Amino acid sequence: MSPKNTETSNLRGLWLVAGREIRVRGLSKANIISVAVTILVVGVLAALPTILSGDDTTRIGLAGDEAAAMEQQLEANPDYELTVYGSVDEAETAVRDAEVDAAVADGRLYVESGADRELRAVLESVYQSAAVQTRLEDAGLDQSQIQQALATEPLETVTLSDAEVDSALDYFTGMIISVVMFFMLMMPVQYIAMGVVEEKSSRIVEILLTSLKPWQLLGGKVIGLGVVAAVNLVAIIATGLGVSAATGLLPDLPEGTATAALSTLGWWVLAFALYGTLAGGVGSLVSRQEEAGSVLAPLTTALMIAYLGSIFLLNAPDSLIARGLSIVPPFSAIAMPTRMAVAEAPVWEVTVSIGLLVVSALGALVLGATLYKRSILHTGSRLKFTDALRRAA
Amino acid sequence: MLEIQDLKKRFGDTVALDGVSLSAEPGEVVGFVGANGAGKTTTMRIAMGVLATDEGRALWNGSPLLPGKTVRVGYMPEERGLYPKMKVGEQIAYFGELHGMSRAEAKRSSADLLEQLDLTDRADDHVQDLSLGNQQRVQLAVSLVHDPELLILDEPFSGLDPLAVDVMGTALKQRAVDGAPVLFSSHQLDLIERLCDSVAIIASGRIIASGTVTELKKRETRQLRVSVETAEDLTAALPGTVVRDGDDYLVEDADDQAVLQAAMGAGRVTHFAYDQPTIAEIFREAVAR
Repeated sequence: MSPKNTETSNLRGLWLVAGREIRVRGLSKANIISVAVTILVVGVLAALPTILSGDDTTRIGLAGDEAAAMEQQLEANPDYELTVYGSVDEAETAVRDAEVDAAVADGRLYVESGADRELRAVLESVYQSAAVQTRLEDAGLDQSQIQQALATEPLETVTLSDAEVDSALDYFTGMIISVVMFFMLMMPVQYIAMGVVEEKSSRIVEILLTSLKPWQLLGGKVIGLGVVAAVNLVAIIATGLGVSAATGLLPDLPEGTATAALSTLGWWVLAFALYGTLAGGVGSLVSRQEEAGSVLAPLTTALMIAYLGSIFLLNAPDSLIARGLSIVPPFSAIAMPTRMAVAEAPVWEVTVSIGLLVVSALGALVLGATLYKRSILHTGSRLKFTDALRRAA
Repeated sequence: MLEIQDLKKRFGDTVALDGVSLSAEPGEVVGFVGANGAGKTTTMRIAMGVLATDEGRALWNGSPLLPGKTVRVGYMPEERGLYPKMKVGEQIAYFGELHGMSRAEAKRSSADLLEQLDLTDRADDHVQDLSLGNQQRVQLAVSLVHDPELLILDEPFSGLDPLAVDVMGTALKQRAVDGAPVLFSSHQLDLIERLCDSVAIIASGRIIASGTVTELKKRETRQLRVSVETAEDLTAALPGTVVRDGDDYLVEDADDQAVLQAAMGAGRVTHFAYDQPTIAEIFREAVAR
C-alpha cells in the first residue's frame, strides 16, 4: 500500500460506505423477507381483478330471420363469441347443452336460467335494430338508405363537476402511489437516522472519520440506503405492472398508468434526496437511539401530512388545498404524483412543483451535511438545532 | 515519533486540558495514566483530530499529525465502535479498505489478524454474537488492519479477562518491536508497569509526572529496607530515621554503608535493598502532591 496517505479518494470512500449499507441493509434477512412479502401482495392485488372476473367472453347462439343482421352488429365486439344455427330448435338445444350462454331466435331469448341484466339489454337493443333493419328492407329500402337512417352517434358524456375523479381505477392508482411513496420515504429515513445514531453512539464514527470526510460518510449512507429503497420500489412497481400486463389488465388501466409509475420513481428520487439528507443531519444531533424519534419528528410529521393530504386530495384533486399541497415542498413530493394520477394538473403547476422540490432538495443537502459535519463528533447531550448551526465547522 | 505539545482545551467553563505535552519514540510503549476525567480521552481525541484543540499541537516526525494523511494511525476510541450486525472478517476488511487498501490486501490483512488474535473460527459470525472480550479483540484488529505506524488506544484493556489481556499485550508489544510508537491509556497500573517503557501521569488536565519507568522509580524518595535476624529492637541502633515495618526496618536520611555495618553488627542480615516503588505508588504519590 502507499506509504503514508491512507485517506481514501472521494468517490471510493463514498462507494465503500454506500456498498456497506447495501450489503448490510439490503441483503439483510429482514429486508429480503419484507420485499418478498410486498411483491407477493402487490402481485396478488394486480392479478385480483382478472382472477375475480374470470373468463369474460359470452357465447351467444343466433338463429331465425334476424340472425344475419344481429351477427353483423355483434361480431365487432370481442367479448361475444357467436354461433349461427340453422334452426330455432338447434339454438335451443345449444343453450340446454351449455354450448352457448344464451341464444336469440325468432324474437325469443333462450337462457338456461335467467339472463343477466347487461346481456339482456345488449341483446334487446341489437335485436331491435336488427328487426328494424329487416322490416325496412321488407319495405323496399336499400342497404345504404337503411344504414343512413339507423346511424346515430353514441351519447356524449358531459361531466358537470370537473373535480370528480374519473374512475375507480384512477383513484386506486393514486392511492397506491401515495401509500408506496409514503412507505418508501418513511422507512429509509428512519434507517438513515438510526444508522447515523448507531455510528455516533458507538463512537465508530471516530474511527471512520480518521479515514473519511463527513460528507462521504453521510452521502454514502444516504446513497446506499437510497439504492436499497429504490431497488425495492422498482421491484414492486415492476411486479405490479408486469402482472397487470400478463393478465391483460394493463390495456384497461387508465391511460398513463405506466407513465405515472415511472414519474413516481423520479419524484421519489427528489423526495429522498430531501428527506434522506435531512434525516442524516438531524440524526447526528443526538447520541442515543432513544432520542432519534424525537429529532426525526418534524420529518415524520411532514411525511404524515403529505400522505394524509394526498389521501384527501384523491377526492378533491383540484381544490385549493390539493393544489397548495402539491406545489409546496416537502409535501409536494407525495401530493403531486398522487394528484397527477387522478387529475390533469396544469403544466405550470407541475413545473413549479418540481422546481421548488429540486431547490429544497439542494437546500436540504447543504443543511443536512452542515448539521452532520458540525454535530457528528459532539457526544453527550442532544444538540439543539440552532446550536449545531452556530457551531464552528 | 509522536509529539504532543502544550495542548489546551476548555469545554465551556471547564478546563479539560491545561498544557498537556508528551511524546512517544518509535518502538516505545507509553502508558497514559490518570483518574477519570483527568484528560486522557480528550488528549487522544485531539491527537486523532476528532476534536479541535484550543491551543497546542500534535506532531508526527516534526510535521502536523494528520491521521490518514501524514501517518497511518491505529486508533481505538474510548467506547467501542463496531457495527454489531456485520460479520467479523468483513468488518475488519471494510476498515482496511476505508484506509485505502485494495480489497484483496484488506482481506489478507484481516485474515492474518484474525489468526494472530485467535479469532479465525469466528470470522463469519456477527460481531454482536461475540463475547465482550472477543469484541475487544476485533476492535484491536480494526485498529491494526492497515499496518499502522502509530497506535493510539484509549483503554484497550478495559473489560478483558487475564487471557485476553495477555493476547492484547503481546499484540501491542509486537507493534512496538516493529517500530511503531504505542500510546495507550489504562487504569490497570500493574499492566502499565509490565508493558510500558514510559509513563505519563495526568491530573486535572496537566501532566504531573512523566518519563521512563526506571527514571520515575529512581526519582521517588527511596527507602532502605533492612531485615536482620535478631530478637533485639534495632530502631535506636541503626543510623538515620528508622521506622519498623513488620519485622523489617525502613531507614531514611542515612549513609547506606553505615546502616549495613550497624545491621551486620546486630545479627545476620537477610535483606538489604532500596524499595522499588510500584507505578501505583508513584501514581498515588504524584496525584497526592
